Amino acid sequence: MTVQRVNKILLIALLSVCAIWLIIPFTMAVLWSLVDPSEPWTADKVLPPVMSLFRWTDMWENSSLKSALIASYTLAPSAAVLSLLLALPTAFALGRISFPGRELAKMLCLLPLVVPPFITAIFFTSLLFQIGLSSWRPGAILFAHSVLFMPFAIRILTVSFEQVRQDHIDAARDLGASHWARFKVAYLPALKPGIFATLLIVFIQSIEEFAIAFIVGSPDVVTIPTLLYSALGQDYVRPNAAVLSLILVVPNVLLMLILERLLRSANPTLSSGKG
Amino acid sequence: MVAIKIERLTKKFGDFTALSDVSLDVQPEEFVTLLGPSGCGKTTLLKLISGFLEPSEGRIQMGGTDVTHIPPEKRDTALCFQSYALFPHLTVRENLEFGPRQKKVPVSERKARIDDVSEKLDLTAQLEKLPNQLSGGQQQRVSLGRALAMRPSVILFDEPLSNLDAKLRDQVRIEIRRIQKEYGLTAIYVTHDQAEALAMSDRIVVLNDGRVEQVDSPELLYHAPKTKFVADFIGDANIFPGTIVGQKGDNIFQVETTIGTIEVETPTAPASKNVNLCWRPESAVIGNIGITAKVVHRAFQGHFTDLMVETNGTIFRVQAKRVEAQEGDDIQLSVSPNEVILLDQNA
Repeated sequence: MTVQRVNKILLIALLSVCAIWLIIPFTMAVLWSLVDPSEPWTADKVLPPVMSLFRWTDMWENSSLKSALIASYTLAPSAAVLSLLLALPTAFALGRISFPGRELAKMLCLLPLVVPPFITAIFFTSLLFQIGLSSWRPGAILFAHSVLFMPFAIRILTVSFEQVRQDHIDAARDLGASHWARFKVAYLPALKPGIFATLLIVFIQSIEEFAIAFIVGSPDVVTIPTLLYSALGQDYVRPNAAVLSLILVVPNVLLMLILERLLRSANPTLSSGKG
Repeated sequence: MVAIKIERLTKKFGDFTALSDVSLDVQPEEFVTLLGPSGCGKTTLLKLISGFLEPSEGRIQMGGTDVTHIPPEKRDTALCFQSYALFPHLTVRENLEFGPRQKKVPVSERKARIDDVSEKLDLTAQLEKLPNQLSGGQQQRVSLGRALAMRPSVILFDEPLSNLDAKLRDQVRIEIRRIQKEYGLTAIYVTHDQAEALAMSDRIVVLNDGRVEQVDSPELLYHAPKTKFVADFIGDANIFPGTIVGQKGDNIFQVETTIGTIEVETPTAPASKNVNLCWRPESAVIGNIGITAKVVHRAFQGHFTDLMVETNGTIFRVQAKRVEAQEGDDIQLSVSPNEVILLDQNA
């Protein structure tokens, strides 16, 4: 068998996997979202008998989708920025200052991630109640998310700080740069990918987080995951769930495109051995 | 007035003494090389001069003012890094402009400096490129240009040629010296390559174990090393311990060594009977009656032939232009008394 044939077979296999993975669920979701309540879509029909946009307008008007979208998409970027700011000093210390027990400290920073999220959530919530932060629920969720996802931020930024080259800092200094100018010319280019990655990962984690948002937030604050869980749980109506999931796909696709761009913009510090 | 005055500089890192009691005066527009093996303290000394380290003891003056505790960003020095340390996300022009911009040099003056530097270093065509689009030699020139754009009175080099290939190295060597003269800069140059040091320097500071072994012109270092270390580190040397057995005239002494009696001419009489002798392999004249030696290894090097020879079990090196002798042959050789150097006994 020639290489070309193997390639062709692999390509077809890949495409079919993609089809099964993406096209079928998407088509099904779109079809289900168009089912008109007047007549149900039963298993004996290939297509829904009556199709309309009723479910879409209904979900948009009569569910807490709008407020959930607003809550989640304010909460997640705020948590990302806050987490980044809180993690920077620790990451600087772990990445640039050598002290005894540094490797151990790095490991300890990651430790919170091995505890199952629901357990952390319950104990963290009781902590929030004890310090009285629970009176302002969105704030409590924001604080909890920033702190809980900080291990990711610290880990990523530590690696970024390690990649800052000492000779760049020294050169900037030798050329008369102030602290800020040194940060801009020597640190920032090396930190940039790490900063983007941190923002993105904390954002995604926060968007997806259910336990804390549910325990602390409900019933006042509804985020996308809490809305989804309830839509999939007690209020499960398949066409409504289809509408909900399709609406939620849009921001995810946008995020993916942003991520793609970020990954493509190669960092010159990393790509050139001698800079 | 001296450009740089280093007084009794000592640098300790915990228990480790990297540099001890180093004093040195550098004249304006002088090219001084700090030479020594790795770990000898040459880079530490450079970092003390550039301000990245503060000495444990001692003082540094530049142009008459004490700069011992002045940070690098406020010193009138510019450093060329071994790794070039060019900012990879800035173009060549932005790299060159970085220093003057930090010093708030007016735009017109900045432009004039960059035009001048890029012309002198042949970088005019590269100004809009990023560092990683340049060859190693070009990056090296940008690094030099970036230092020059600061218009410093002292320029410091930290092994700037070690990342270049041999041919380019010779070329850049000449260029660095030309630029240094053109701008009238005082230069301190760190290297572990003795050939580089000999070819470029006005004076060489040989460092060993954190101490200054000898400070002299390249010629004097080569022809009149004071210590065993210097004799051995710079060029090839045959070093023999010996005992003075006689004297001819005022300043020629006869020294008994393992390979026979060698005559040495010295202006000052040695303090003790036991001495160390040194002579360069090319000082030996083959054919003159004197020492008999057996050739154990012969290597033709083009402009000379390198022989390892043996007398009474001691192996030493002889170099000559035309050598008939083959491995295993016995040869006769002698060394003229004024080519033999008496080394400091205590070192």
